[in-house]
Amino acid sequence: MLSRVAESLFWMSRYFERAENTARFLDVNFNMLLDLNDITAVDHPNYWSPLIMVAGEPELFSAQYPEYNAHTVTDYLVFNKKNSNSITSSIGMARENARSVIESISSEMWEQVNNLYHFLQSASPQQVHNDPYSFYKEIKNASHLFQGITDNTFSRTEGWDFIQIGKYLERADNAARLIDVKYHLLMPKNSAGHDFVHDSVEIIQWMAVLKSCSALEAFRKIYLSRIDPDNILRFLILDRSFPRSIAFSICSAQEALWRISGSSRHRYANKVDRLIGKMEAGLSYSTVEDMYLNGLHDFLENIEQGLVKIGEQIHLLYFAYHTPKIEPEDVSEALPFTGIAGGRANWSQSQQQQQQTLHARPQPVRT
Amino acid sequence: MIRMFERYETLPERFFDEVLSADGLPREHYGIMMQRFGQFSSDDIRTRRQIVNIFFRNQGITFTVYGVEEGIERIFPFDLIPRIIPAWEWDLIERGLIQRITALNEFLSDLYSRQQILKDRVVPADLVLGSPHFRREFVGVTPPLGVYIHVTGSDIIRDARGNYLVLEDNLRTPSGVSYMLQNRQAMKRAFPVLFDRYKVRPIENYPQELLRTLQEIAPTSRPDPNVVVLTPGIYNAAYFEHSFLARQMGVELTEGRDLVVNNNKVYTRTTRGLQRVDVIYRRVDDDFLDPLVFRPDSKLGVAGLINAYRKGNVALANAIGTGVADDKVIYSFVPKIIRYYLGEDPVLDNVETWLASNPKELKHILENLESLVVKAANESGGYGMLVGPESTQEERDRFAEKIVANPRNYIAQPTIPLSRHPSFFGDGDLGACHIDLRPYVLFGRTPAIVPWGLTRVALKRGSLVVNSSQGGGSKDTWVIDE
Repeated sequence: MLSRVAESLFWMSRYFERAENTARFLDVNFNMLLDLNDITAVDHPNYWSPLIMVAGEPELFSAQYPEYNAHTVTDYLVFNKKNSNSITSSIGMARENARSVIESISSEMWEQVNNLYHFLQSASPQQVHNDPYSFYKEIKNASHLFQGITDNTFSRTEGWDFIQIGKYLERADNAARLIDVKYHLLMPKNSAGHDFVHDSVEIIQWMAVLKSCSALEAFRKIYLSRIDPDNILRFLILDRSFPRSIAFSICSAQEALWRISGSSRHRYANKVDRLIGKMEAGLSYSTVEDMYLNGLHDFLENIEQGLVKIGEQIHLLYFAYHTPKIEPEDVSEALPFTGIAGGRANWSQSQQQQQQTLHARPQPVRT
Repeated sequence: MIRMFERYETLPERFFDEVLSADGLPREHYGIMMQRFGQFSSDDIRTRRQIVNIFFRNQGITFTVYGVEEGIERIFPFDLIPRIIPAWEWDLIERGLIQRITALNEFLSDLYSRQQILKDRVVPADLVLGSPHFRREFVGVTPPLGVYIHVTGSDIIRDARGNYLVLEDNLRTPSGVSYMLQNRQAMKRAFPVLFDRYKVRPIENYPQELLRTLQEIAPTSRPDPNVVVLTPGIYNAAYFEHSFLARQMGVELTEGRDLVVNNNKVYTRTTRGLQRVDVIYRRVDDDFLDPLVFRPDSKLGVAGLINAYRKGNVALANAIGTGVADDKVIYSFVPKIIRYYLGEDPVLDNVETWLASNPKELKHILENLESLVVKAANESGGYGMLVGPESTQEERDRFAEKIVANPRNYIAQPTIPLSRHPSFFGDGDLGACHIDLRPYVLFGRTPAIVPWGLTRVALKRGSLVVNSSQGGGSKDTWVIDE
């Protein structure tokens, strides 16, 4: 398939997943605050700033809003057009990508992207504040519907695999960030996590983390009501059967990459397959104790950085349009993002492609 | 008789009305439709309007307006009342257009080889050779099958007596065919019963016919030629159509950056390397096709494409340089061109046209600006045009200066009272709106017309301009067998 089409399918899927994840964070945060049963606390910055940290751009936020509270954070993450990761921006980008490959996706998929886009265009901040539950539910459902439609109308071709890769890489990345931020806030600084003393607020917070991954019921089926951080981390990071865990996401992305390249276990065809295989093995053979060894933050950051590298290699191998050979030293120039430590490398669609689409504008047309 | 049409005015002395004859009775082929619409209440109409709007919105059928920043995408306005063309009228249109397109193809073939028509002084050589769309680089290059204009859409209007006249030929990249196909879908949803009562000729096979035409012109002998559509990209006004046609034909929709030329062969860049391309249905104008040959700043084209074309390794539809024959100045010579190549009288007449490049005619134009429509030879979409009766003195003065400064670039025609058809204005009122017709001709081994056209309708009260960029909309067009 055309490299450009593959790239657009990948990003369409990725942006859609991103919008869903953002809606989940916000939804759970609202619910958690209701559980706290403390009306004055709802606007407390401590409850809202982590959401901005998950999305990773506190400077951009502070430049536009005086403080962290329910209104500003919601506005920034749902409606703000300057925030390229807001739900509105993400769905806008998902739609632009879908539009540029409209002939390759089913018309039902296009209708669904379009529906959500129009829903967001007509939504108001007031609507969200009056009934956040329904608003976020609408977005989550729209995303589930999109996945379901894709599942039932899109042929199992290479395009489908790129859609899966986009979805699962994004999901793994979001899960890693969410756990990282929550863990950072919830764990006492010097504790290795073993003799953790729960108080009810912390349990509620950890339950919120599970809920934001729709993982609470699934978690309880395995660990009953033993809500302690070790079990939660084991479940969200290492569980092989829960579809929003990091290990599951990586495995699913790996399977899709294998279908494209023909690789199999023990035998990789290219650098992407090697990198994701390495990550998958790392997750398969790790225990919670291993994760604590150098600190959970390092462990998660390793995953985030690994995902960035995988994204870069996918770009080079499948999307870079087979442009004449790029010498290794030129790579950093050819790509707008290369492994900036702790940064959001490969977090957005290549600038190259966006510029191309902008340049494509001016030709007058005969009607 | 019919409630909805009670206040409908026809003005038979000024305009030809498509539905009602001069005595106020429906024309025969409109009988059933009038009866049906007569039974509808305004609620019925509103419900159907909604069905259609939701259909178009969900399909994302939009077009782009240049120079308007906000809401760049708009839904193409669609009128619910279908236009009906009886078989015997259609036969005339079909014969006329096939004759015309055949002659114009001969003309192009001649211009890009021996130029006999210029030597015989049937068409003035300076008008052709001086046209910006004449590509002298292609003299001596013969496209596959000798066909230049594979997809054309000529605009046809009816004068006050109902005669069909050709107003304009579109030989480069005519658009609108997707609206026509989608209009039909929408009508089937909104008026299933009415549709059933007429024997409407089906149009759904257009994409297959287009693909067949494109495969026929493949230059290589490969058994399954690879056809692609080339679009300028998602910001182009007709992008929806490009993707629609690619999807319906089942071929790749490409942008310039998806194609690469190596060793004078064209390839697509795919996730599995390069793949050979045989035929490009290009919706990019000549000027933007190849930055090495035409505009060097074009990001829409493919470097090296023209050499591959010249080598005969890839076919382009339409061929390069066809714009020279749909120039509004050359238009006035088409009847002569038909007689010259085919030895026949034109089946469809032209609209009377004065050329500003001819001093006598220039004088006539300048003296009669108030009653004429003046058009720039190489603009389209209703841009660069003066409608005399609707203009102010100041606008006319400014236009006169432009004409005198560059007479080659202007032509004038009488203000044709376009025929009218009942339609709903934007506010839901019913009235008589002016319409035209754009049928499409496909030309592979032989030219063939497809039994329908896009009827464009001026939905602003009193307006004569049917272009979508100027407030025009469209109707479904039914060619029926009696």
